[in-house]
Amino acid sequence: MKRKDNIFGISAVITIVIGLAVAFGPTADLSAREMPKVNCSQCHSCETPTAQNPCLTNCPRMSQVNVAGRHDLSEAPKVLILNKLVNQYGAVHFNHKLHAEMAGMNQGCTTCHHYSPEGHISPCSECHGKEGQSANLGQPGLKGAFHRQCISCHREWSHDTDCRICHMPLEGKSTSSGTTIDSTDIVGISHVRLVEPEKKVYYTSYKGKPVVTFFHKDHTELFNLRCVDCHTKENCSGCHDIEKPVRAAKSEAEVHAVCSGCHASNSCETCHDSREKPAFAHGSTGWPLNQYHVKLECRGCHPTGKRISRLRADCVACHGSWNPQNFQHAVTGLQLDKTHAEVDCGDCHRDKRYDVKPDCSTCHDDNRSPEKAPPGHYVKTRG
Amino acid sequence: MAHDVAAPVQAPFFTTGTRILAAIAGIGIAVYIFRLIAGLGMVTNLDNQYPWGLWIAIDVACGVALAAGGFTTAALVHIFHQEKYHPVVRPALLTALLGYTFVVIGLLADLGRYYNVWHPMIPFMWQGNSVLFEVGICVMIYLTVLYIEFVPIATERFKGRVHLLGRLSVFDRLIEWAITLADKTLGRVMSLFIIAGVVLSCLHQSSLGTLMVIAPTKMHPLWYTPMSPLLFLLSAIAVGFPMVIFESILASRSFKLKPELDILSGLARFIPVILGLYLSVKIIDLILRGAWVYLFDGSPASLMYFLELGGGVLLPLIILMIPKARGSVGWLFTAAALVIGGVALNRINVFLVAYTPLYATKTYFPSPFEIALTAGLIALLVLAYRAAVMIFPVIALPAGVRPMVVENKNKALAGA
Amino acid sequence: MKRRDILKLAGAGGVLLLSGTAAAGDTQGMASNDDALGVLVDTTVCIGCRKCEWACNQANALSSRDSKAFEDKSVCRKQRRPVDDAFTVVNAFDGRRSDGEPSYMKIQCMHCFKPACVSACLVGALRKTPEGPVTYDSWKCMGCRYCMVACPFQIPAYEYSDPLTPRVRKCTFCAERLGEGKKPACVEICPNEALTFGKRRDLVMLAYSRIRQFPDRYVDHVYGENEAGGTSWMYLSPVDFTKTELPALNSRPIPEITETIQHGVFRWFVPPVLLYGILGLSMISMKTGDQDKKEDDNGA
Repeated sequence: MKRKDNIFGISAVITIVIGLAVAFGPTADLSAREMPKVNCSQCHSCETPTAQNPCLTNCPRMSQVNVAGRHDLSEAPKVLILNKLVNQYGAVHFNHKLHAEMAGMNQGCTTCHHYSPEGHISPCSECHGKEGQSANLGQPGLKGAFHRQCISCHREWSHDTDCRICHMPLEGKSTSSGTTIDSTDIVGISHVRLVEPEKKVYYTSYKGKPVVTFFHKDHTELFNLRCVDCHTKENCSGCHDIEKPVRAAKSEAEVHAVCSGCHASNSCETCHDSREKPAFAHGSTGWPLNQYHVKLECRGCHPTGKRISRLRADCVACHGSWNPQNFQHAVTGLQLDKTHAEVDCGDCHRDKRYDVKPDCSTCHDDNRSPEKAPPGHYVKTRG
Repeated sequence: MAHDVAAPVQAPFFTTGTRILAAIAGIGIAVYIFRLIAGLGMVTNLDNQYPWGLWIAIDVACGVALAAGGFTTAALVHIFHQEKYHPVVRPALLTALLGYTFVVIGLLADLGRYYNVWHPMIPFMWQGNSVLFEVGICVMIYLTVLYIEFVPIATERFKGRVHLLGRLSVFDRLIEWAITLADKTLGRVMSLFIIAGVVLSCLHQSSLGTLMVIAPTKMHPLWYTPMSPLLFLLSAIAVGFPMVIFESILASRSFKLKPELDILSGLARFIPVILGLYLSVKIIDLILRGAWVYLFDGSPASLMYFLELGGGVLLPLIILMIPKARGSVGWLFTAAALVIGGVALNRINVFLVAYTPLYATKTYFPSPFEIALTAGLIALLVLAYRAAVMIFPVIALPAGVRPMVVENKNKALAGA
Repeated sequence: MKRRDILKLAGAGGVLLLSGTAAAGDTQGMASNDDALGVLVDTTVCIGCRKCEWACNQANALSSRDSKAFEDKSVCRKQRRPVDDAFTVVNAFDGRRSDGEPSYMKIQCMHCFKPACVSACLVGALRKTPEGPVTYDSWKCMGCRYCMVACPFQIPAYEYSDPLTPRVRKCTFCAERLGEGKKPACVEICPNEALTFGKRRDLVMLAYSRIRQFPDRYVDHVYGENEAGGTSWMYLSPVDFTKTELPALNSRPIPEITETIQHGVFRWFVPPVLLYGILGLSMISMKTGDQDKKEDDNGA
């Protein structure tokens, strides 16, 4: 009797185990994915594309014609006002000129006009239809095209994807034409004024005289160089990155190419020295600037070209209207007294050298000098 | 039958112990009402990370497991005809009946829309893929079966004694006739219900283990196993007899009766066999899955696992292997309590400890309200059991006690 | 007579078991509907503007917060989760962008092919529609929250604060809007079109074509193509998905094991009936000795 119990007790357990075993029978492979039927030749040009050689056909994006070659920026409107949805969103004032100029640092017009067939410049809406109308899921609609175009750069460069950077708030609509900034260079364009370095010191591998002192501000201010003149391949993300991308080492030729456009005929020592070069001092040209001249813009006196021309040292070379009758000697800082005011200019300034202090010995034999016994009094405002 | 016949126990309902229980139950009922009015958010520490808490783990999962004595004893006595154990069938049945009733009551507190609890009965809402659907349906049917199984006990109590108060006494004959009919009809088909009860129990006891198998990424590997349903079934079977032993000893203490040691130690002989089977399946499963590596990482989960298996399975297994211990009330009680604690801990481990949300920002610990409600329900369950054994012939009494009960039949009836 | 019935039952059970075992191999096939809809989330395009959150809020009439409340982008760094009044959230993650900007990932219900929540729901309140959305019927719901336990993405949220009619809340895939031929609200509003809505089959193709076209921009993995048996919503990412908040899942549908167990245990009801038969048999066969005690036995 007891043994029988056990048999039946065990058989009950076995039933459950069998049930579970049945439950864990082989199951279908669910990971197998059915590939839908598509037309291969739509994307692949060859019969048997492989991962290594997918032989992809060019998509329209690739078959672009360069807009820049055929069109001039001046043809384009300066500011575009996108206001089709003005009842929902504030109009977007898009400064085309400004963006076009910035795009010069990236891929030019094609940065945005990535598809430009011959004949005309396509508006975005030519390809990017309203959402859901395109047969191609991968192609963004007009909304996506606009936003991606703007936001992907703004996100990267200004770290700001806020709607307000483009969309004016609906209430209190701005009536401005969209731009107040006007300049001809990167620094002036919509960009906040950059703090330009006075100089940059490079330590090179040039033996003996490894130090190159580059006076950045002098180059932009004295030689009127535009940023893009040297920063030819710069793009915004080169600066607007928290982690700056590691720049590839440049070859010797590439490094020198930046300078050699202007300094082609200079010797190495023009730039290379054993120590930091002192800043340019006008006195080294033989013409130390006086209190008035030091205040002048370089270009005020040296207006021509990238090369600074040597000027004639006589006053009338610049101050052409000066003559003995209208010249106020006080501008030199010395108010002549009555006696000396009567004297001819050439009596003191021998050989018409007005830039050097006169020699008093032509009239006086007591070894006086203009400092010790001035021919009048020095004007207090000096300095 | 040589054995004593079951009869209502004659004892004062209120003692110091029951008063304390009544107080706990009172607080629990108050919290229950508060829960229904204020909602889950106010009362529980449940949130989107931890959708299930103490109520599911203890009120439902432990409740179902610890009510397993009902089907194991029914199978032992009625199916395998171990007539010796007849006296424990009724207490075990009552435990199961009350246990499942309180499972439902506890579940209602946890359901957000408790008034929809009957929805699994509507055919067009049936959802055969859902483990919980099976558990729900099985528990519903099994609860019905339990009440049907209990009917003979009730008819035994009232047959020939129906005496309604006042004008209602005109229905006395009608009710008497109904009771007799029910008794006769049920007597013919009761075997079918008893087997059904065992089958239903096996199904939903194991399915409770399947519940958490649906959350592979959230469960601790020590407890996440597709073998979980088998483990739950085995542990439910294992805890059935200890629960009977535990109750029986407690009841005899409480009612100042002599524990029926020969029956209890006889039951205790089965326990190590099932515990051993349970333990070996559990260990083999752990090894086969390679999850044993998590045993020794010193995490709280691993400690809980050791506690569950060492204290709740291995220790009572060893105790009950010793014949001498099986003959001692103290050791029997200890071992039974350990098994019960071990299985309860297993349910808590599976439903609470092993469950880690993917995006956990905190750990779950039940709120005072949750604990109060659970404690209240347990207290109420004990009180209901005490009341039931005082009304119905559940506990087999020594011959000397019986006549007293019969003499006091009218008094007891009024109490009912 | 009783004995014979039970014997018959057991015999039938045996036959059923044999046939049942033979049929046990087939599991539920994946809901691979060619026309099923989906959304591809390109996290390299998403700028975290939270417009989708706002549109979702409007479309589902969630909270009364106005659009201003959705302009603060700093909350994206808080790793929020969808809650009962926000079905979708946009969280930041490190996509290793060269400009140091964070990448963003929209989180919402993935609308799995074999949703664990649907499998878990005992009253069918959650349902996977052939079109793609996993929908919820609060009228059927009991509030057991088993769906929340089951979801491998921790998506369903519960209205715990509602005492009487709490609902499970999650992205609806704008099932109603889809029915009207519209796109989901989030997809429609997305200014950058980081969300692409279409037939899921086409979206998988699109995703891989993007990966092929810009191999530096994406990892070669379309999250959701196979995860958890495939999801209607899928993701492209610039970094390995283990570095995003999406959970690492294999291609097995989450409810596969539980459903296999359930369907195994209940295959044509053979195991329960068989158990019933065995128990019945043993009950009868072991009762040979003392038949006359019948009355007593029944009294339990």
